[in-house]
Amino acid sequence: MIENGIVDITPGLVAIGAGLAVGLAGIGSGMAEKDIGAAAVGAITEDMSLFGKALMFTVLPETIVIFGLVISILCIFVM
Amino acid sequence: MSLPESMSRIVIVGAKSHIDDAIQVIYDVGSIHLIDHTVGADEGFSLGTSRPYSPKASERLLKVRAMEKGLGITPKVKSNPIPEAEIKSQISSDSVETVEAEVNAVFDRRNDLNQRITELSATKRNLEILSRLPIDLEMYSGYRSIFSMVGTVADDPSTDLVNADVEVFSSFDKKEGNVIAVFARNEVRDKVQSILAEHGFSEIVVPEGITGSPSAALTAIAREEEAATNELDSIGKQIESLMVKYTDFLEASDEELSIEVEKGELPLRIANSEYTFVIDAWVPESKAGFVKNELETKVESVYVEVQETRGRSLDGVDDIEKRFREPPTKMNNGVVAKEFEYPTKLVSVPKYQEIDPSILIAIFFPLFFGFMVGDVGYAIPFIILGAYGLKVTHHKDWRAIATVFFFGGIWAFIFGFFFFGECLGMHFVGIPTDGVTHTWEQLLGLNHEAIAGFFSFLPEGHGVSKIGAEWIGFLMKLTVYIGVVHLALGYICAIYNKTIQHGFKHAFMEKGGWLLAFLGIVFMCYGLANYLIFWLESGLMTVDLVCIILGIVLIIVGTVLNRHEGAQAILELPGIIGNVLSYARLAAIGMSKAGMALAFNYIAIDMFGGYVWDATAGTGSFEGSIVGLVFCLIMIAFGHLMIWTLAIISAGLHGLRLQYVEFMAKFFDGGGIEFEPLAIKRKKTVSTNA
Repeated sequence: MIENGIVDITPGLVAIGAGLAVGLAGIGSGMAEKDIGAAAVGAITEDMSLFGKALMFTVLPETIVIFGLVISILCIFVM
Repeated sequence: MSLPESMSRIVIVGAKSHIDDAIQVIYDVGSIHLIDHTVGADEGFSLGTSRPYSPKASERLLKVRAMEKGLGITPKVKSNPIPEAEIKSQISSDSVETVEAEVNAVFDRRNDLNQRITELSATKRNLEILSRLPIDLEMYSGYRSIFSMVGTVADDPSTDLVNADVEVFSSFDKKEGNVIAVFARNEVRDKVQSILAEHGFSEIVVPEGITGSPSAALTAIAREEEAATNELDSIGKQIESLMVKYTDFLEASDEELSIEVEKGELPLRIANSEYTFVIDAWVPESKAGFVKNELETKVESVYVEVQETRGRSLDGVDDIEKRFREPPTKMNNGVVAKEFEYPTKLVSVPKYQEIDPSILIAIFFPLFFGFMVGDVGYAIPFIILGAYGLKVTHHKDWRAIATVFFFGGIWAFIFGFFFFGECLGMHFVGIPTDGVTHTWEQLLGLNHEAIAGFFSFLPEGHGVSKIGAEWIGFLMKLTVYIGVVHLALGYICAIYNKTIQHGFKHAFMEKGGWLLAFLGIVFMCYGLANYLIFWLESGLMTVDLVCIILGIVLIIVGTVLNRHEGAQAILELPGIIGNVLSYARLAAIGMSKAGMALAFNYIAIDMFGGYVWDATAGTGSFEGSIVGLVFCLIMIAFGHLMIWTLAIISAGLHGLRLQYVEFMAKFFDGGGIEFEPLAIKRKKTVSTNA
């Protein structure tokens, strides 16, 4: 957006911020899930009946990325 | 609410002389969950011994299983069921032994042949090496004063052997290895051996009983080996025909004998005195009268007494004898909810004293799944596949998946048609002007007025306007509200569980605080969010202020009630916000799916198909080349198939996760004992009683 020769970079910065919010939150939940997932697979190999509980623990950190998403949506649509 | 079926504890007392009849009736009734007798629990009683027919049956079962393994018959092999009476008479007339003799004769022959072939191929290898030397086989032995040694060496030892007064025959080849035969006097045997050993000598055994040149012997051996292999092939065919011939018999007798063994070993689990047996068992309360009646009328000198009907209260449960403490859980669900017992069991079997969440999962899981998919185009394959799966498959894993497909698909259709108004990522109505999105109305060139009028029930009216801040904000809010309702239900279930276990007062003191704190957080966050996000436009509204204050009060009251939890009561509070926001994934996954569909449609229709929309005339056309149109179709098929597959994983897994992590964690304990009545399941045999 150029007005009187001045470039307004606000929308761009907002977009970068929104992207970072989702992306970094995604990395965070990925890192958390990595260890849990490995342990869960190990447990399931020992005892198949643990599948439900293992799944539960594995997806626990997924909520973190939802926080990131909420923030990014707030960034884009509310700012 | 759906609690597990109410259980009664019964005691069956009878004379040992009639125990076989009693066992038969117990298995026929099929609703008696045995309580194993604890040794020394009752004076004068001990564990029984297996019935006289049991050891013989075990022995035969072992033989049958061994034959099944040898013939490659697994439970998955299809067989024709044999009537129970027929298989029983076959077993008692020693058919198992007859079949075993026949099968084992073939197996023995096969083993002999295999051994023979191994031997022959070893001899063949040796002869191949020997055939490189110009010596007949009988020349290697039969001497009095000299000896022979033949074998392979790593390098040429002839220079070292020169002094040893020996005769050497050799053949050196880089590719096939070095062969050497040494003839020497008996006196120098040690010396020759040590020289050869230095050159990596490895001796070859000259086959005995074969004369003439090695190459002639080789052809004879090869012929013999071929004959043996041919016979082995025919044995293989014999085994196959034996398998076809005896599959029915073996599978049926396996099942029949297993049943006999199980029945015969029942006395090992119950209390016996010298002349009587006593069985403690759980039966569903509704069946108790029937069980008593059946046993007492069908079996002589048996008496059944209903000891108690266990309530749900856990007060005073520690005073009960340990083996009677926990009644088994028999989930009590209708036809539809029964299919959803599987996800519950994936976590744990519910306790006898708590709500069985299957019915709640049956309501919310397909609903969430459908909301996330939310597209008519994806819903229809889900419904068809699910219905087909439910019709044909009996495997519990596949059934569970088919159930989710079917019911989730129905919800997806409802949401797709009445709420989102889209099919394969394109909305039904509206004329987009952005050049990126498309609608069915635009693509198919339908009459605007009538179509738009028909779809006026859709929220936001037109499809096109849905890709906007307003609509997405609305979706986010909606999903968070769904979460609030779902979680509140979870907290209420927790209070209900504690109420039936310990009474309402206890329940409110233990779980009520969490419900209040939850509501407090909801109110406070509602007020705060309104204030923080929209304050520029409207300023602090009274409603928001009231919400914030009410929320804080509720949180404080809730936390005070929760003081028995210690620091947990405060530390868990932010987690509640997380739980509620977690439901935003319903909108997020729906949007990501729609986003992917949008991208694929753009690639296919605009980039490959070259679609051009004439806004003034209100008509559009595909300007792309034939190749482009073909790619357009391939892209649409591939892209949507991919999204559909991803929808299974993302929507399915996240839908389930919301049940497990957010919802069930609020109230579900699990760890119950599953109700496993003594009963006979016949698959390979047909019951003749029924």
